Amino acid sequence: MDPKNIENMRTPLARAIGLGSAKEGVGAWWAERVSAIALVPLTLWFAASIIAHTGSDYATFIIWLRTPLAAILMILLLIAAFYHTVLGLQVVIEDYVHSQAKFATMIAVRLGCCALATSGVVAILRIALSS
Amino acid sequence: MTPSPTTTRPRPLSPNVQIYRPQLTSVLSILNRMTGIILSACAVVLVIWLVAAAWGPQTYAAVQGAVASWVGRIVLFGATFAFFLHLCGGIRHLVWDTVHGFELRSIYVSGWAVVAASVVLTVAAWVAGALMAG
Amino acid sequence: MIIKSSDQVPRATLLKRFPIPKNFGITPESRIGRGKAWQAPDGAVRAQTFEIYRYDPDSSENPRLDTFEVDLDDCGPMVLDALIWIKNKVDSTLTFRRSCREGICGSCAMNIDGTNWLACTRFISDLATPTTIYPLANLRIIKDLVPDLTHLFAQYAAIEPWLRSKTTEPERERLQSADERSKIDGYYECILCFCCTSGCPSHWWNGDRFFGPAVLLQAWRWLTDSRDEAKEERLDNLEDPFRLYRCHTILNCTRTCPKGLNPGKAIAEIKKMMIERRS
Repeated sequence: MDPKNIENMRTPLARAIGLGSAKEGVGAWWAERVSAIALVPLTLWFAASIIAHTGSDYATFIIWLRTPLAAILMILLLIAAFYHTVLGLQVVIEDYVHSQAKFATMIAVRLGCCALATSGVVAILRIALSS
Repeated sequence: MTPSPTTTRPRPLSPNVQIYRPQLTSVLSILNRMTGIILSACAVVLVIWLVAAAWGPQTYAAVQGAVASWVGRIVLFGATFAFFLHLCGGIRHLVWDTVHGFELRSIYVSGWAVVAASVVLTVAAWVAGALMAG
Repeated sequence: MIIKSSDQVPRATLLKRFPIPKNFGITPESRIGRGKAWQAPDGAVRAQTFEIYRYDPDSSENPRLDTFEVDLDDCGPMVLDALIWIKNKVDSTLTFRRSCREGICGSCAMNIDGTNWLACTRFISDLATPTTIYPLANLRIIKDLVPDLTHLFAQYAAIEPWLRSKTTEPERERLQSADERSKIDGYYECILCFCCTSGCPSHWWNGDRFFGPAVLLQAWRWLTDSRDEAKEERLDNLEDPFRLYRCHTILNCTRTCPKGLNPGKAIAEIKKMMIERRS
């Protein structure tokens, strides 16, 4: 949609075709679905665990997080959640940001989520592997 | 080619979101997006919480204190509702991706089911939490 | 509460429009002002108020909302009848597209009381008073209720909506079984009124690159036609984060189609075909 309607001399068909099809897009769509399917059981397990541990103290929590199952599922949850988040936020940014800021925002979100996911995994490993 | 006015002023754009009726379709869709963004923020908080736990009991206690405060509880309640809305809405989207449930009647039934299920699950989660706390 | 078919107009709605300022995000040349008001003629027993978007390209004014009162006993039952009554009896400068008056040409598509529909198949009695009539959403307006559909038709041309074959032409007809023919049912009936595309929020924000439900439904019509031999090129042409994947299954399109078609489902079928060809 040309906001100013000061059209250049392109034909309507040329404007509709634009730069042509990117010939890719199905990969991101599929990854978003696969991560969503993984997140359904993982988030429900996380919610149930949090509810089950309401009111428990620090020591009990750490003992629970040290169990191999809890540690593994927590790490999987972080990876799946941040992967899904990156894909979802990328779509949101592409939808609403059309200025030059679009690429900078996407890069910032992508790198930020990578950093956060790594921090979370390292934190879990420190708890799980420490004596 | 359309004789688009370049020397005269540009043609006005007809209003869109300003006049279009909110319907279950569009409202649930934008709610799914808003809850997704809220959950992204929750993921950041989750990492902060885990890092605090790995740091030691004092930092963990500080974070727990913030969550257990009355502001924290309200935020947590909102986050739980957002989580269940996004979860149920997401499952509805996954069903659509298998090309099922596209008849208008199914769209509306599944839409109201998502709203009802989210409310029920949120209440159930908080009741269970209250019972666990004793 | 539960809508079974797209022609249902809900009697009661919580909100008639999103709770945002009337001219929210509208550029200065598109801001809508208050317009003139015409009274009902004397002796009118049943009158319905219509608030209609007006824009005169020959004047230097912004678009405005005019109020008309229509004598329902003097005019036909459909919204198009009311518009023609206004044009005949009150203000002959009211401009709108119309042709068949039976819901098959798609000319009179407009936004009636918040949702897109054909004026000739919408009963006035189904609508609240005052009834607001706007042109199709998010399109450049030529005059009054006449939008510029050039870009939408250009997007339609971009999907090459004709039979593409690679094998030599058969002696007689191209063969197609009854089952194969039934695959295009529900898609060939599209009248290209663009109610769905102009009701799609994703097309509002990205209409320059997103093809929109009408064009994608036609793309599916050609993808699922067994006589077409260019599926690979068609899918390549569609596989794009904007052309196809701006669709987030909002489903305003299926809700508003005046012919009862299902663009949302067609787009889901395209996405399914996309993943099937690489798995």
